[in-house]
Amino acid sequence: MSYHWNWGILLAQEPGGTGTYLHYLIVGLGWTLATALAAWVIALVLGSFIGTLRTTGNRWIVRLGNGYVELFRNIPLLVQMFLWYFVVPELLPVRLGDAIKQMPPPWGSYVPAVLCLALYTSVRVAEQVKAGIQSLPRGQTFAGTAMGLTQLQAYRYVILPQAFRIILPPLTSEFMNIIKNSSVALTIGLMELTGRARAMQEFSFQVFEAFAAATVIYILTTLVVVLGMRWLERAVRVPGLIAASGAAQAAH
Amino acid sequence: MPDAMISIRNLSKWYGAFQVLTDCSTQIAKGEVVVVCGPSGSGKSTLIKCVNGLEAFQKGEVVVDGISVGGPKTDLPKLRSRVGMVFQHFELFPHMSVIRNLTLAQEKVLHRSPKDANEKGMKLLERVGLAAHSGKFPAQLSGGQQQRVAIARALSMDPIAMLFDEPTSALDPEMINEVLDVMVALAKDGMTMMVVTHEMGFARKVAHRVIFMDQGQIVEDCSKDEFFGKPRSERAQLFLSKILQH
Repeated sequence: MSYHWNWGILLAQEPGGTGTYLHYLIVGLGWTLATALAAWVIALVLGSFIGTLRTTGNRWIVRLGNGYVELFRNIPLLVQMFLWYFVVPELLPVRLGDAIKQMPPPWGSYVPAVLCLALYTSVRVAEQVKAGIQSLPRGQTFAGTAMGLTQLQAYRYVILPQAFRIILPPLTSEFMNIIKNSSVALTIGLMELTGRARAMQEFSFQVFEAFAAATVIYILTTLVVVLGMRWLERAVRVPGLIAASGAAQAAH
Repeated sequence: MPDAMISIRNLSKWYGAFQVLTDCSTQIAKGEVVVVCGPSGSGKSTLIKCVNGLEAFQKGEVVVDGISVGGPKTDLPKLRSRVGMVFQHFELFPHMSVIRNLTLAQEKVLHRSPKDANEKGMKLLERVGLAAHSGKFPAQLSGGQQQRVAIARALSMDPIAMLFDEPTSALDPEMINEVLDVMVALAKDGMTMMVVTHEMGFARKVAHRVIFMDQGQIVEDCSKDEFFGKPRSERAQLFLSKILQH
């Protein structure tokens, strides 16, 4: 293979005149994070809400929640991205649809990308929240309501704080997934990190350098997430909780 | 009994087609201590969980301090806040410190100020001999200590009656007495208590009445002396002979 290696390309000016290729990629990382973080906030809130509803025992609410989860879980992420970008604006009232289609770049890609990633991830969060809640002994709800807490208060003060501690490790994975999945947004024209690595390759023909740089930037970013979540796990750790719940299970 | 604190009338409950409670009736007067015993699966726990509406029932009536538990307009959270409950597996909130376990419902349900709730909580922890552990988490305490905290937590709401659902069954033998001591003291203070337990020593010491259940029915409902003297039903005699043999 006769490949002309040129790591110096990262410090060369990109043709758009905004600065070096490295700077160009870093701005891409900015869009990756802006997309992933906004989607993550929505996914956490929506997913927690739906996951909790699915444990309330109300038959119709549970069915509605299950339907929502199955809908967004069973369609590939790429297809959902296209649905949000190409199909949803056509289904909306004409004026609203037109307004969405006429949003200037990058917002015309950014908004559908955030919505797509948020809903796609929310059902995965919902599954985990549900599993976390169901892993708690039923007696905890009894104990809360027996003291006069309403169901809402029992969830707020007793059930959810425990459930979230239990599902922190899988939530870390979801957080990393949403960052990585945001690369799919390049297909609807969002110039995030992967999109810019591809553009760099097309401008400069240095395919290895472009994607090697993107890879390193992704790894460093997710590493920060891992370390941050580990710190969070330590910060909210309850003395003896994991060991105690294990012992309680054994005693049952 | 006009001054009945807890009144259960013709209570029946089904899980699907399976009947767990059949036509149970009894009354518990203010200040009375009633022990509910019987073989496992006889419906004891279900019966006392009906008293504060933790279990729904399909037929009959439960009235606590004049308020119908199953009534369509009953404010169940409010009613429950006035009836203390202690569980077999303690069910302390593991993510909260011991003192927070005692103050949470005081603040959120009774709307006491954090300062008042804290004072009340510390007073009760002192009463059960655990004030020194107020800052610990439940998992750092022994089973007996956890159950004493659970009793203090129930008392923090100033309940008009206390329900105990096998409070010593999950404890190591050497920890049973420290919990029973707290319960005996409570009974002597005149608390209205309904206690599901197999601790016949406790029943002999402080119970006024004993209810014996079998297969979802109240088979015996008589004074302690009658029960330990000569229970009328064969089933209760058999039960007593089995658990008192050793």
